[in-house]
Parts: sequence; C-alpha cells; structure tokens
Amino acid sequence: MNKTTLKLAVAGILLTTGMAGAEPLNVEWLLRGGLSWKGQLFGRDGDWIELKRPEDLKPVRVGANTIKELIFEIDLDIEKVSKMVKNREFEQVVATLEKAIDPFTEYSDIPSNLTKYNALLMELYYRTAQYDKSLAISSKIAEDDRNPELQEKSRVYQALALIDGGKPSEADALLAKYGWDQELSGDASPQKLYIAAKLMALKKQYSEAMLLIARVIAFNSSDLEWMQPAEMLCAEIYTELGLYDSAEEVCRQIDVLYKDSPEFDQAQQLKLKIEKLRAEQELEESLESKEA
Amino acid sequence: MMLGFRFSGKLVRIFLCAAAFSACSAFAQDFSTMGLSSVVAVAQNRLQRGEYSAAIPPLEEAISRTKELTDPQKLEILQNCRFQLARALFKTGDSAAGVSVLEDYLKQEPRKKERMALRMMAQGLFDSQNWKQIELVAGRLLDMPDLTKDDRLNANLMLGQAQFQQEKWKACIKARTNKSTDDKAKQVTQVMIVRALVEDENWDELWSWIPRVYRTDSKYDITLNLTVMRAGKARFKQDDSLHALLLYRMVLPREELIDFANGRIAEISKKAGLSELDRKARVKELENIRKLVEELTNLPPYEDEVAFRIGLIYRELKRYWEGYVLFDMLNTKDPDGDIGETSILQLVAILYDLKETARAEERILAYLDERPNGKSARILISTMMRDNLRRETPNPGKVIGLRKYVDGLSPTTDEDELQTTADLHYMMAFGYFMARDYGRSDEQFGEVISDYPNSPVLPDSYYYRGMTHMMQADYQKALDTFENYQGKYEGGEHYSASTFRRAVCLVGLNQTTEAEAVFTEFITAHPDHEFVSEAYSMRGDIEAAKELEDDPETKDVDESATLDRALDDYRKAIEKAVNSGQASYAAFQAAKVYKLEFRWQEIIDLMNEYLNLKKGEANVSEAVFWVGRAQIALGQIDEAVAAYLDAILTFGNDVDQNGVDKIVHELVAIANQRLTDDDRDSLTIKLKLKLTDVDPSAQTLKVRLQMALAYLKGAEASSSLGAELLASQKDLKFVPPIALALMCDAAVEAGDAEEMGRLYDYFTENFEESDDLWHAYRAKTYQFLAKDDLDAAMEIANEALEIYGADTYMGWAQIIKADTLFKQRKYDEAEEAYKLITSVPEWRGPLSAEAMYGMGRCRKASGDLETAHNFFQRTYLLYKAYDDGKWAAEGYLSAAECLLELNREADAIKTWRDMLEEGYVNTLPQAETAKELIKKHGGA
Repeated sequence: MNKTTLKLAVAGILLTTGMAGAEPLNVEWLLRGGLSWKGQLFGRDGDWIELKRPEDLKPVRVGANTIKELIFEIDLDIEKVSKMVKNREFEQVVATLEKAIDPFTEYSDIPSNLTKYNALLMELYYRTAQYDKSLAISSKIAEDDRNPELQEKSRVYQALALIDGGKPSEADALLAKYGWDQELSGDASPQKLYIAAKLMALKKQYSEAMLLIARVIAFNSSDLEWMQPAEMLCAEIYTELGLYDSAEEVCRQIDVLYKDSPEFDQAQQLKLKIEKLRAEQELEESLESKEA
Repeated sequence: MMLGFRFSGKLVRIFLCAAAFSACSAFAQDFSTMGLSSVVAVAQNRLQRGEYSAAIPPLEEAISRTKELTDPQKLEILQNCRFQLARALFKTGDSAAGVSVLEDYLKQEPRKKERMALRMMAQGLFDSQNWKQIELVAGRLLDMPDLTKDDRLNANLMLGQAQFQQEKWKACIKARTNKSTDDKAKQVTQVMIVRALVEDENWDELWSWIPRVYRTDSKYDITLNLTVMRAGKARFKQDDSLHALLLYRMVLPREELIDFANGRIAEISKKAGLSELDRKARVKELENIRKLVEELTNLPPYEDEVAFRIGLIYRELKRYWEGYVLFDMLNTKDPDGDIGETSILQLVAILYDLKETARAEERILAYLDERPNGKSARILISTMMRDNLRRETPNPGKVIGLRKYVDGLSPTTDEDELQTTADLHYMMAFGYFMARDYGRSDEQFGEVISDYPNSPVLPDSYYYRGMTHMMQADYQKALDTFENYQGKYEGGEHYSASTFRRAVCLVGLNQTTEAEAVFTEFITAHPDHEFVSEAYSMRGDIEAAKELEDDPETKDVDESATLDRALDDYRKAIEKAVNSGQASYAAFQAAKVYKLEFRWQEIIDLMNEYLNLKKGEANVSEAVFWVGRAQIALGQIDEAVAAYLDAILTFGNDVDQNGVDKIVHELVAIANQRLTDDDRDSLTIKLKLKLTDVDPSAQTLKVRLQMALAYLKGAEASSSLGAELLASQKDLKFVPPIALALMCDAAVEAGDAEEMGRLYDYFTENFEESDDLWHAYRAKTYQFLAKDDLDAAMEIANEALEIYGADTYMGWAQIIKADTLFKQRKYDEAEEAYKLITSVPEWRGPLSAEAMYGMGRCRKASGDLETAHNFFQRTYLLYKAYDDGKWAAEGYLSAAECLLELNREADAIKTWRDMLEEGYVNTLPQAETAKELIKKHGGA
C-alpha cells in the first residue's frame, strides 16, 4: 500500500457514532494499495463506510473510494441456483438472487464480488423480459473494464435489452458506438450479426434481418452459444416473412438439437403461433374464394 | 486409429508394489541344482533390485518344477511365480510372453492377484491390439466383486474401447465410459461415443451428445470429423436431409483441425520425465496424430463441397436464406470454379423461391456483365426469361432486354448448350410476341427453325411462327406455315389448332368459302377443342356476312337461311365456350344479327339466356347494353334508360367492364334522340345526384358519371372534361376506357406528345377490347407527327385502319395517311388516298371536303393546274357548308392561284369576287386575303 493511499484510508477512519441500522455484513475489503482485511461492514454514510476488524473495538469509517474491492459473504446455495437455471426456473432464480444480494445493494457502486451475481441477474432479467432492469445492470458493467470478457458480454446484453425493449433508435446509437453496425459480412462475429439481425427484425426489415441471421447459422455452426438463439430468431423471422414451412423446419431442428433449452421452449410457443397463423390464413383464403 | 487407454503409471506402480513375494532370492546361473525355495528366493531378490531380465530364468525354473504338482502350498508358489514372471516379462517389454503366462495364471487356482493379473493382461493385449481378448478380460474384471470405483471405471474404459475397436457400436455406447474424471480420458471417450453414435445412426442420443462435445476440444478430433463427414455424405445420398445437415454442420474446416493437431503435437512433444511406458504411449500418440494430419492433408479440399451440400440441404428444407448465404459465399470465393458456377445457379433459384425477383435479376445481370460467356450464362438467361414470361403479369420487356446477352453467346457444339440456346431464342420469340413485335418474334422463331433442328421446341416454333405471320396480317405466309406444320407434325400438339388457324387465315385472305369449309372440318374433327366455340362464331360471322355482302357468289343464297345458320352457330359457340370471352363474343355477335332483322325480343331473350348460362362470368354490362337497345327499339324507352342507369351504378366502378362505357354512349344517344327535353333534364339531374352520392373511393364510377354528364352537355363540355382529366389523372388505374379516349383527344388537342405516348401505351396494354381504343391509335399517330416521324405515323395510321376499317370515326387515319404521302411528295399515292375518302360513304361530309381539296393540292404540286383547279372548284361548289366553310374558302383561294399560274388573271379575280359574295365563306379570315389579292391584281 503506498503512503498516499494509506494516509487517505487512515484519514478517513473516524470513530463512528451515528451510523447504525441493519445487521452487520461479513466482508473482506481490499484497499487500493493491496492491503486487505476481513471483518464486518456496519453501514454507509455517503462516501464513507463503516468497517470493523475482529481486533478493533469499534468500527472505523473508510472512504469508499479507497476501497479496491469488497468481497461479501453471500448467502446463496450455488448448486441450487445452478439446478434452477438448468431447469429454466428463471423467475425463481431471479427472486433468489435478488434476495441474496439485496443487503449489499447500498454498496453497488464499489467494485465487489457482486459483479458476477449482477451479471447473472443481467442475463436472467433479459430472459424474463425485464429489459429495463437488464439494461441498468449491463450499462453499468459495460463501463467496468476490470474483466474485458464480462464487459463484452454486458455490451451484448445492453444491445439486446434495448432491442427487445423496443428501443430501436437507442439500439442504433449503441451499435454505432461499439462499431457493431459496420462490416456485417459472413466473417463478422456471430454476436455482432445476431444483434444487427435482431435490430433489423425490430425495424421490420425482415429480408435484411434474415440475411444477417442466416450468416450466423451458415458460418458459425460449431458455436453453440450463438447458434441456439440464432436459430430461434431465424424461425421467428421466417414466420414474420410468412414462410411458415421454413419456420417450422427450423423449429423441428431446434427440437432435435437443443432439448432442455430456453430456445426449445420458445420453439414450442412459436409452433403454436404458426398453427394459429395458418388457421387464420386458411380462413381468409376461404373467405376470399367465397367472395370471388 | 488407436485410442490408448493405458493404466496410469501410478496404477501400475501400486499394483507392482502390492505384489507380495514371500520366497527369498539368490542369483545363480544353474538353477537345476538348487532347491525350489532357493530358486524362488533368487528370483525375488532380483525382482526387488529391479533386475527383471535376470529374474526371468529362476521364475521359469520354479514354474517348470511346480506346474505338475497338486499340493496347495506348491500351487500357491506356482501361481505367484507365474504372476511375477508375467510382470518381469512386461517390464522387459515382452508383453506377448507376459500375456501367455497370465493366461496360465488365470486358468488355475489360487488367483490371489486375479484383479491385478487381469489388468496386466489387458495392458499386454492392448499392446498387441487384441481387442477381442481385451473385451473378454475387461468383462471378467467387471464381474469381480468389490471393485473400486477407479477399477470399475478403468475396466469400463477398456471394455468400451475394445468394443469400439471391434465396431460393436451399441455395446460400446453402453459401456458407460463417459464417467472418467480425467480430462483427456473424458475427451477421448466423448469422441469415441460420438463416433459410435454416428456409426450406429443413433441420432437422438447423438444430438444430446453434440453440445457436450462441441463445448470441448473434442470437436477438433480429426477422426471424428472425418467420420461425421462420411456419415453426412451417406445420409445425404439416402435423402435423409435433416440428419445429413446436422452432421455436415459439425464438420470443421481442415485448417482448423490441422492447426489444432499441430498444437497438440507440440504440447505432447514438450512433456518430459515420462516413464518408459508413457514414452512409448507418447510415441504412438504422436505417430497417430501425424498419420491423421497426413491423411487430412492428402484429402482433396472438402470444405467447399461440404458447404455446397449444406446449402443444397438448406434449400431442400426450405431454409432458403441459410442456403443463399452459403451459395453466395461459394460463388464469391471462386466464381470460375465448378462449385462457384453451380452456386450462382442455386442462389438465383433460391431468390426466385423467395420471390426476391429484383435481387435475383440483379445477380443474373451482374453475372452476365462480368462473364457473358460463363458456364452458367445460358441457364441464367433462361431462368430470368422464364420467370418474366410465366409470372402473373408477364414482363416481355425484360425478356427482350436480354437479347444482347443471347446474341453475345459464343457458338457451341455441346448438345445441352445447344438445346438451351434454342430455348433462349424460343423464349425471346415469345417476349417479342407478347410485346406485339411480331416481326422480331418471327425472326427468333426462325432462328430456332434454321439453327436448331434437334430442339424439342422446333415443332412449337413452326406453329408460333405461323401465329406471328397471322398477327402481322400476312395471312398467306401464315397459312403456308400452318400447312407446313401440319405436313411435318401430323399428330403434333398444335395439329388441331393449326386447322383452326388455317381457317382464320383464309378469312383474312377473304377466301370465305374455303374458310367456312375448314371451320366445318375443324368443328367436325375436334368437337371439344378449346377453339371450337371460336370456330362456330367465325363460321357464324361468315354466314351472317353473306347476307350483307353484295357478292355475286352469294346472290342466290337464301338470306334468312344464312342468318339462321349464323344464329345457330353463335348459339353453339355459346354452348361450347370454355371461357367468358368466347361466350360473350358469340352472344353479342348473335345480337348484332338479330338487330339486322329487327328481332328485338329475341335479343332480350338471348341476353337473358346468356346471363343465366354464364352467370358469374358473363359480361353483364354489355348484355344490359343490348337489352336496353332492344327495349328502345321496342319503344320501352323508360325501361331502357332505367336499366342503363342501374347498370352504370352497379358495374361502373369496375374499370374492366367495357360494356358500361357502351351504355354511357348509348344512354347519351337515347337522351339526345329519344327523350323529351324534360326527360333529358330529369336524367341529367339524376346523374348529378348520383355523382354527388358517389363514395369518394369509387373513382372509376365517378369518372364514368362525369363522362355521361359531359356528353349530355355537348362537345365543349366533353372536351373540357378531357382536358381536366388529362391534367388530374396521373395514375391511370382508375380511369375507364371511355375517359382514356377523351384524354387521348385532349392530349392531341393540347399537342402534348408525351401524354399521347403514355396514354397510348396504357390504353393498348389494358383495354385491347375497348371500342374506344382507336382514340389511342390516333393519339399515337399525332405523337409521331409531332416528332416529324412520318414513316412511323403512316405505319400506326395504317395499323389503325387495318384494325378498325373504314368506320365513320376512322376518317382521321385516312386523311393523315394522305396528308403524310403528300408531305413525302408522293402525289399520286396521296391523291389515291384522298380519293378513297370521297368514295367511302361513312366518310362523306367534312372529310370529303378536305379530301377533295387535298386532291387539288396533289395535282397542283404535280403541275397539273387545270385538274387541280377543277378539284378546288368542286371543293367550294360541293362542300361549301362543311367545317364552317373552311374547305370552300381554301378551295376558292387555291383555285384562283391555279388560274393566276395559268395566266388567267381575270378568272382569278372573278373567283375571289365570287368568294366574297358567298355567304358561307365571306366572313372567314380567308376573305380578307381575297380582298387584298383583288386589290393587288387591279380588281375594283
């Protein structure tokens, strides 16, 4: 820990009197200089937080900006959560996660091990169509460059939340900001093509959307992460184009390949929708032929 | 391939250490003199020192001495020695001998180290790749009680691999080899299982495995990729598109596989501190990977072929866009290669499947511009032509637009290409035919006939070439061509139709007797042919015409009998009609015949009969028109007017109901000729009220009501409405033919050449059957005149005359024809053309005045002043009242000019004076000219 940081940290340490409230939280805190302690977190007062090591008699106040990372002890049964995710019980996972990290939300501006839980929430909010919430988290992680992989992932969800949340112009701006609206040839990354296709579909430019999503499928068939959602989107766009046979064929392949996946569930829904659309179409045709 | 599952070094060490050895050891060369316990002790000693080779002789000696004994203690020594001998042999690398010893060990009791023995045996057999034996050994091991988890797993791995190597796919999948905790073993088992599932065609289970495999490096396994590719190909050949697709999609590009394999080689080569066994295994593994890389490298490039097949399957499964992007990639990558060329055909076909016609045509034209003689050029041209000809609204212009590419094709001797080229000319001919460019159509059919004698479209080309002659009214040539066709292709597809066409040509050649005979021949031979209704109608026309013609040949004919025969034919035509057009033609022709005989009630009956027979298909408005006409003749004026008004309101918003336009004309005619002023005013008010009530969306009806009102008001109102419509109706789709006609006239009046052309194009394209279509021809003729294109003007005027004949309203065409000949200084021909006008009763009146004056001009221009003077004189004497005296005035002036040129100045002055005394002309501007001329030539 360098001297300046240490001074700052020490200067911030004050005997506390007025900050009281919830149960203290078990936490490990890493200061910017590299020092770390384990102890309890008692509360927050603006830019100050109250921490207490076991050996301390009373909590001390530490400047939030001097803390490099907080590692909270989070009460969460990871195995249970994994199982629920596997079973696609997304709503329950969201509730469990929200409950688990709720005591820590006050410290969400400080880098912490909450990021990975937030990242999971970001995905789950998206899966459960809570796009604003997903966007709030993804926008925050997108600015955090500590974990480039996670940052990239959050940008993807940022774009997806905007698109599925029905905000085409904001999505346009975001894609332009990340350069994802350029060079959408077959060599482009699958996520870039997928997002651009989704945006086109939102704008009802279905042929262009189809062209992009077809590139994901045709040129990235071993990339399962993107193939599954791409095939689902492909089936949806075929439906919008009125090519029901094509859409049903894609659904058939989703049934075969992606059992026990969210896309599998979506494909079942889509098949029902197609059935309904076909019935409506037949009805219209029979009415037209009667009129003729 | 060998997937090496060896016991790990650790396992082997444990098992070797665990081997208890009770006897003491001694080292001696000659064991025969030593006691058994000493021999065993020597062996043990040497084994403990790791002198495995040296331990072999004493162990063999001990075995040889004890193998026949039955004493339990000795048997235990024997079995122990066997076990240790096998171990020593393995350690010295003679695993085959070790296996043989273990076989003896395993046959006899006691086998205290049976589990270890079995594992060692499996190891030995593994080296010799004796999979059948390994399977037995592994099975025996698995039957043993109290196996540890590791032992069970390893035994399963052995069993699975042995079964896999023996291609016992189902059995090896069941061997539960997928539980390994070792990453490498797990990866190898995954590959093995996926391969086995592929080989076993166990698709359901395979697809559940794929995500697991494709999330690991197992996907880079070369054998797996080759197996999947082979399986994909097999499925593809068996038309199992879905599984072929999913298998092909798993195949990774060669470069990726080779890169991964080379990385693996480098990784394995780096490993140090390996045991002898592991070193051997490494050598084998490296050998194996290198062999596979070589095999892969030697394979012809497969990626493009795989991508192409995936594209084909996508298309077959109607996943069009996925197929499209693959074919697009393949075509862009190697446009000249076989796959690239085939890909352009596929991707264009997909675009047509998707109805992305503009994109398809763009790709075709880009290809043709880049490679006018590319391998796919002919097929692409053919595809685009076919699409444009077959679509609901054919686009012959686009077919014709491909002419330059067809003409640019290099000659070929390839039979397939020759056939395709013949097809191109054939389709091009149809393009021209549809565009009414019959001359070029004829030329293209001619190309097929002269250059492609083996083409399947040759017979059709003969027939349709005859049609092009017929459409150009070259009936003799058409007749010859149809006869030629019939001579060549008796029983051909168009044989019967050719008979009908021959009859039509004979009508065109005015050989009506022969035509009638051929129609009869056709009707008799082909009573159910689709043209038989038309044959009846045309024969009816011939019969009906006999009554009308003043022909010596038909003079003796009983007129009422011929009309009855005509009516009989029309009724049969209605009965045999296969479409509403045929029925309508016959019905309305019959009505015309009845009209000739004033059989009004029969017209009403016939129309009702026609309406009942053809119900939804009938031309109701035309039928109502005829009923109304008959009612008027029968004095039922109010009923007729009511029926007409009702028909206008009922059908008037349908732009294609030509009969409504006739009704409008007829209604106006009745109003002008048969109604009292009050009734006429009442009708006008009714029309105005209806116009006010018209739904704004009923644009066509609105225009028709406006037309009726304008016509009722008179020529000025009509002309004004025409100008108004010309200015307001930019989109013509709601404009009925009656209004288009008025707009054509307005365009001529305004001298708006662009509008004349636009209206002509739209009118001729959409309302070929309209009685008002001649207005479009007139507009087109004036458009050419405006451009000073006299030849084209003559051509279109002639075409109009050929179509409409010398009907009253067609005089303009003959006048223009004569005027144009005059402008071309073809004075004799011009005079003939003018003369024709004066001889046609329908053109008597102002046109005759103009024609007489024109004849004078012709003579004057030829220098025949006397005759010219006569024509001018006849003009002002005979036609002084026509066109408000215009032609008489011109006649006076021109006659005087002739007299002046003939040096008969006094006669000229007299002519001018006569002109000034003539009440029809003396107020016209020409009278002022006459006054000045009198003054100039000294007249008082």
